Amino acid sequence: MNELKIGILEDQAAFRPGELLRGGAGWQVGEPPRSVETRLFWYTKGKGTEDVEVVATESFERPQMQDARPFEFRLPAAPYSFSGKLISLIWAVELVAQPSGDAARVEFVLSPTGHEILLHEAANATSPG
Amino acid sequence: MLRARDNPFASERLHALRFRLRGVTWEGLLERFAALGHRGSLVGPEGSGKTTLLGALLPRFRELGFNVRQLRLTRDQPRFQPPALDELWRDLGSHDLILLDGAEQLGPLRWRGFLRRTRPAGGLLITLHRAGRLPTLLECGTSPELLDELVADLLGELTPAARRRNRELFQRHAGNLRLVLRDWYDCCAAGTEALDR
Repeated sequence: MNELKIGILEDQAAFRPGELLRGGAGWQVGEPPRSVETRLFWYTKGKGTEDVEVVATESFERPQMQDARPFEFRLPAAPYSFSGKLISLIWAVELVAQPSGDAARVEFVLSPTGHEILLHEAANATSPG
Repeated sequence: MLRARDNPFASERLHALRFRLRGVTWEGLLERFAALGHRGSLVGPEGSGKTTLLGALLPRFRELGFNVRQLRLTRDQPRFQPPALDELWRDLGSHDLILLDGAEQLGPLRWRGFLRRTRPAGGLLITLHRAGRLPTLLECGTSPELLDELVADLLGELTPAARRRNRELFQRHAGNLRLVLRDWYDCCAAGTEALDR
């Protein structure tokens, strides 16, 4: 059975725009992998159609059947992690091995405050009176 | 406020619901499809689970060795996108099985043209609101009991209040479970008392 793991250095759960995200990926697969890569992406969850955008990928050279590698991504300026009633935007890094297509992911928050932006709180804070 | 990511009725969770096949096994359904010469339709009104059933059949067709080609038409997108269709016609063969979701969007002429061009394919399964264009493989339907099962799956349990709300929404939307589950999403997002006992 294939096993994939991915983690962020020191289990850091929140990052600010432009910060460097460092982590480690490890895997044990039953056949020689054609490719193993990490993907930095965001996706939406909520009501209606889901959206996803892969912002960056990093492929590991000559991946072995059992292996562990470090990775890093420079985070973009936006979009921020947020949640409202209808939609949440979630950032994650994912480890994907081919040809099996097995994947593992870890989520994190990208925001200038270090916290997910909650739209109802933001609206309350800016509403007059 | 419940965050969208935590809403039990978020799209991702609805897509993960398994299709409840009634009165026939998966093997039986696939045998029936083979007996129809791999040409058939899933028939049912909007929100009756046709698309979910297509999704549940897809990996089973792949296991049978078919190369599954998916097409989808909707009221908002009633025409095929030319690049996808050109590619399909170019190399269509007996190993291909076409799944067309929303075949009722094609008028009679376009349907006949489509049918003619899909002849080389090893199979064609379409969804329709009403029986007619291809032999019916399965009629999809809904019931308050089915809705109770789905909502219990999503909420983890079915409280008496949730059951009452199911009955009310089922009636209001004439059995269209897609609309019912959307209402449930709004209900959870608003944190209304329908989730209470």
